[in-house]
Amino acid sequence: MITRRAAARLLAGTTATAALGAGLSPVLAADKVIKIGADLSLTGADAEGATRVKDGIIMAVDAANQGNAVPGYTFELLTLDDGTATAGQYDPAQAATNARKMVSDQDVVAAIGPQMSGAGKAMAPILSQGDLATITPSSTNPDITNPKFAEQYRPAGKPIYFRTVTTDAFQGPNMANYMAEKLNIKSVYVLDDSGAYGVGLADAYQAQIEKKGVKVLGRDRLDPKAADYMTVLTKIKALNPEALYYGGVGQAGIKLAKQAYDIIPNTIKAGGDGVYGASFLIGTGFPAADGWYATIASPHLTADTKAANFVKAFTDRFGVAPEDYSITAYDAALVIIDAVKRVAASGKPVTRSAVRDAIQTAKVPTIQGIVSFDANGDLADRTVSVFQIKKDTSAKLDDISAQYHYIDVAPQV
Amino acid sequence: MTNGVTATLARPFEHIPDAWRQPLGLTLLIAAAVLFPLVHTNDADIDSMANAAAYAVLALGLNIVVGFAGLLDLGYAAFFAIGAYTYGILSSFQLQPEWSSFWEPFRILGLVHKMAADTGDGSVVRFTLSFWLALPLCAGFAAFWGVMFGAPTLRLRGDYLAIVTLGFGEIVPIVVRNWSDLTNGAAGLNGVSAPKLFGWSFGVNSTPYYYVAIALVALLIFISIRLRDSRIGRAWMAIREDEIAAGAMGVNRTKFKLLAFAIGAAFGGMTGVFYVAKLQTATPEMFGFPVSVMILVMIVFGGIGSVWGVVLGAFILQLLQSWWLEDLTGWLNVLGRAVHSDWLAHIDLVPSIELIFGFILVGMMLFRRQGLIPATRPQTALSFDQQHAEIRRGGFNDLKLQGLGGDVRTGALALEIKGVTVKFGGLTALNNVDLVVPNGGVVAVIGPNGSGKSTLFNLVTGLLDVGDGSIRFHGEEILGLPPHEILTKGIARTFQNLRLFPNLTVMENALIGQHARLTTGVLQAILRPPSTRAEEAAARVWAMEVFAIFGNRLTPRVGQMVAGLSYANRRRIEIARALASRPRILLLDEPTAGMNPAETLELAEQIKSLNMLGLTVLLIEHKLDVVTTLADTVYVLDHGEVIAQGTPAEVRRDEEVLRAYLGRNAQAAAGMAPAGMASVPLPTLGQ
Amino acid sequence: MTLFDLLLQQTINGLSLGAMYALLALGFTLVYGILELINFSHFNVFMVGSFIAMGVLQLFGLTGQDVILTGLPLVGVLLVTFAVTMVSSGAIGVAIERLSLRPLRNVKGPAAMITTIGVSYILFNIILLVCGAEAKNYPNPMPTVRYHIAGAVLDLRVVLIWIVALVLMGGLYLFVQKSRIGKAMRATAQDAEAARMMGVDVDRVVMMAFFLGSALAGAGGLIFGLYYNFTSFIIGFTAGLRAFTAAVLGGIGNVPGAMVGGVIIGMIEAMGGQFIATAWTDVIIFSILVLVLVFKPAGLFGRMAPTKS
Repeated sequence: MITRRAAARLLAGTTATAALGAGLSPVLAADKVIKIGADLSLTGADAEGATRVKDGIIMAVDAANQGNAVPGYTFELLTLDDGTATAGQYDPAQAATNARKMVSDQDVVAAIGPQMSGAGKAMAPILSQGDLATITPSSTNPDITNPKFAEQYRPAGKPIYFRTVTTDAFQGPNMANYMAEKLNIKSVYVLDDSGAYGVGLADAYQAQIEKKGVKVLGRDRLDPKAADYMTVLTKIKALNPEALYYGGVGQAGIKLAKQAYDIIPNTIKAGGDGVYGASFLIGTGFPAADGWYATIASPHLTADTKAANFVKAFTDRFGVAPEDYSITAYDAALVIIDAVKRVAASGKPVTRSAVRDAIQTAKVPTIQGIVSFDANGDLADRTVSVFQIKKDTSAKLDDISAQYHYIDVAPQV
Repeated sequence: MTNGVTATLARPFEHIPDAWRQPLGLTLLIAAAVLFPLVHTNDADIDSMANAAAYAVLALGLNIVVGFAGLLDLGYAAFFAIGAYTYGILSSFQLQPEWSSFWEPFRILGLVHKMAADTGDGSVVRFTLSFWLALPLCAGFAAFWGVMFGAPTLRLRGDYLAIVTLGFGEIVPIVVRNWSDLTNGAAGLNGVSAPKLFGWSFGVNSTPYYYVAIALVALLIFISIRLRDSRIGRAWMAIREDEIAAGAMGVNRTKFKLLAFAIGAAFGGMTGVFYVAKLQTATPEMFGFPVSVMILVMIVFGGIGSVWGVVLGAFILQLLQSWWLEDLTGWLNVLGRAVHSDWLAHIDLVPSIELIFGFILVGMMLFRRQGLIPATRPQTALSFDQQHAEIRRGGFNDLKLQGLGGDVRTGALALEIKGVTVKFGGLTALNNVDLVVPNGGVVAVIGPNGSGKSTLFNLVTGLLDVGDGSIRFHGEEILGLPPHEILTKGIARTFQNLRLFPNLTVMENALIGQHARLTTGVLQAILRPPSTRAEEAAARVWAMEVFAIFGNRLTPRVGQMVAGLSYANRRRIEIARALASRPRILLLDEPTAGMNPAETLELAEQIKSLNMLGLTVLLIEHKLDVVTTLADTVYVLDHGEVIAQGTPAEVRRDEEVLRAYLGRNAQAAAGMAPAGMASVPLPTLGQ
Repeated sequence: MTLFDLLLQQTINGLSLGAMYALLALGFTLVYGILELINFSHFNVFMVGSFIAMGVLQLFGLTGQDVILTGLPLVGVLLVTFAVTMVSSGAIGVAIERLSLRPLRNVKGPAAMITTIGVSYILFNIILLVCGAEAKNYPNPMPTVRYHIAGAVLDLRVVLIWIVALVLMGGLYLFVQKSRIGKAMRATAQDAEAARMMGVDVDRVVMMAFFLGSALAGAGGLIFGLYYNFTSFIIGFTAGLRAFTAAVLGGIGNVPGAMVGGVIIGMIEAMGGQFIATAWTDVIIFSILVLVLVFKPAGLFGRMAPTKS
């Protein structure tokens, strides 16, 4: 154990030296190093998405260090993997261990992650006891920030689980409003992809669309590892709903979109932010992707060039286009950096508790607009923007900003 | 036991007496486990250790099913899930039925609380099952499901069993995911209670969980070892080694297979309770196929069937993931920078963990199949003296076999076979066969290959259940009874092609022979009360007495693996194993096959002496000298029918017998042989 | 859609699935028949096959579904792709056998099966690490042609699946029944020891079984890509598991049984999805499997070879 820890310290030292030697960050040796923890599912099926998220965080942290965003402080990333070979994907037990790793490292003042709500449920009580705030870029299950479960997920009292992404409680229902009010659909079929995100989204959507008086002709669940969705699509075709709503991520979404194009080409097809992204465009391809509605849980800033700049910088650096969650992760990092900056500027010591309080009062301009949180840690801004994919041959076919056409803000619940 | 561990650890301490090594090693291990969180106070590392310990318990559970009983289970995570969700649901807000007086008794027991409903009006039930109560309860519930999942698979052979268990392993998480009213589906459980001890909640502090996990591992290691070294464990291993022989030796296969499933599942269920209490949430993804496979990998890596091995395997593979891989990556990166290798400086092993596991798995199978700590103890070779000791034949004078046989030649019938017919499709293997074995007699059945002799034996011993007719043993109908019940009634047999338990010792083989005569149940096996110890000791004494029939052929080899012994010795062991069951009649299927003339003569004498003690014998034999020496009556089977019967001398002269055996042309030659002489054996057509 | 149309369409869906499962099931059955080994690496040979075929199609300059070929060029491209894919997949199968399974040939117990799980992990993760986790848009030169039968739609790709599957399965059946090495395979399945004594080169037979099974899996991988227009590192597991279930259902070791089993599983999946829910597909499939095995432990059609004692 002693050798292990000693080696880790040695390693940390070497990393800092190497960074200096390479001239990556023009910091003074006297700068205090503060760490931002990141818990991501870097092993298994979600590894690739997790890498994009990590890259988003790296973009923000490097920029802060280079621009000397907080004078006297250097940021360092402590990336931990909550995926294990045992689970074959994210593993809540490993996420809990990682939460403890972050809590027991006194240099960690805030964290980003996890990606999955299941991991978040295991981490939140530990982070709460350690008074360590985390900002999740992608976990959308409302339970963790629900005051009803406060005793469970924030036993120490203060909210520590923040999100730069709207919970299922808004994204699904707002889209339901949009489809009922603006698209005037009378009947819909709802599918999910078995995952926590997809099921939660579809459940919330279904509850609201039923309230709106739209007939839900059926609800079924896709196995994301299966390939063939023709059966369920044939069933849908026979029921002939006006629309299909899919709650889920790209893994099943891509296959669904491809096969839906063959079987129910004329049905309105919509999904959440799981079908918003370059990988959905690449994987599905045209013409199958054409016509799909997608939402993102943030305002669409048309006049703002931030997003375009970020996409370009990201693509230049990593050779791939960013995912939606690269952006929310980047934003999360911006919020943390801003919080540290405000604490440092106020002259108080940069502690976890101070950073948490600063995050709570954040008003940070980010790619997705001004981020601030409500009393539970959820995004204060609950705008859900609706897009539709329309093939734009003048741009690259995986260019999100060109292929997803902004339509409107979905009516709030 | 700890031999493997301590042997490795103890090399520098060779002056420590052997008898001290095991307790010393164990004490050190326990001390290290207890002191770990006090010395190394990093909460995350303690948590990793607790997780690893939980997987060690799972590995121990699966080891009972796969390692001991040899039932390949690819869906073990199902029981993990069942335990986890049972506790999770019964200690969280998940179910909130309306309060009614029905719940009052449960409230008094502390199993539920009354809680104001979210809606504001009325009260609802909040389940608050205590963690400590949940451990045995959920273990029992998982065991119940172990039996439910095991029952349909009983008739299936190993690989079919694997696919069906895999199916159950897939079904359980799907049900969990789809039945969201009960389980909260994919979103995962909320608000599972942490364990409380004397009013103090464990909360999220990992140290108490660590101690609970270590205590569970210790308890289950203890239970595993106790079971393994008992009648129960031997029965499992007998099933693993040779299912048919196990049945014929009195092991109730249905019962013991289900017992293995149940106990394995109970371990899994218990771990589930612990795991979900520690995480305070559970999602269906935590219990998928990869989990089942990983537990299997752990036991393979550590050593299938080896209690300490699987624990070590679980710890190494879990800690590899949560500790070492990140460190190793760091070291490689440092090394890469030092040697200016860009590739090494940026290599990240973490995403390759599954690839690494794949290579570990294949590498272990190719180069170290027995695992890190092999289950089978290294065999001590026989000393020079033992190998070259004078071969003492057993015999009347040495026999102390009190209580064997004891049936006197009263003229009453031991075995009475009447009108037995067996048909396989269009083939009639036995046709209306009548055969009687008098009490205390020796009856031989001879006949050409394929004449139905072994079919007859299989029918009598219950390995076949397709016959018509009647088989009475001491007046009691036994046709159609399962093999283990027939053995219990006192009919023991050997097999033509030897069906020993090759990877068990000579002693263990003989102890399995006594299975039906011993009474140790699961609880006695674990607690080992004095009565059980006495029974076990007596069983060993009896086995040694039985071995003594064969002089010193077997006695010095009792600790050896059967697979490594000579053919003749293995034949003797099979007879000894049958005798160990204290039979009233012994069915020997070609006992001297493959023995040289001297060995044959020796064995014939030994069988004779057993008969003199009062043991009834029914024998299939080709060597006429043996038949002549031993048998009072000979039955000749041909094409499933009895074509002749009588004394050996009568049968030899029977023309039909000669024709069946030798064909017409040989009759003259055979007829010239002096009757009763051993020098001209009948051709051994059965070989 | 009328109920009849719906049933017809689901039957078409089920038969397409079934054809693919049957192709995969044959690989399981061949190896099991001869070695009594559940070959878990077969799952991912299928997956690797679909990636190899994608590479070959990309060599022809195809990237998505934009370039459509017809006539001779289409046939030529497909034939070359099938040939290359099947030979390379077969070679992978042979390599797996030679490197990791032959040393374990005479080892009792689950060692060999566990090895195949390890190999499966290796193949799976190599593709994951090299090609990435995202679903790949599959290059597909086939024109979209649809036939309307009553209210149901029959896609040309479905017809292709059926033809290819039937040709390959028929070819395999004839090969096993008629050819010299096929007879040797059957003899080895009956009794490897006796076959060896009668001069059968058992090593060669086993190698052949792996080659044929893996080649069929590779062909299955290509068909998969052409049918669904995508591939991904993850496709092996679900398809492989269902195919394996099909093999067991039909009576593992039994070549025609595997084909029928595949079709049955495909139909169960389609009808179960229609009349119950796809959320329960695996539950339905495995429940039926358990029921069949409880009442007929050797599968619907029994084993071709008797159980070795």
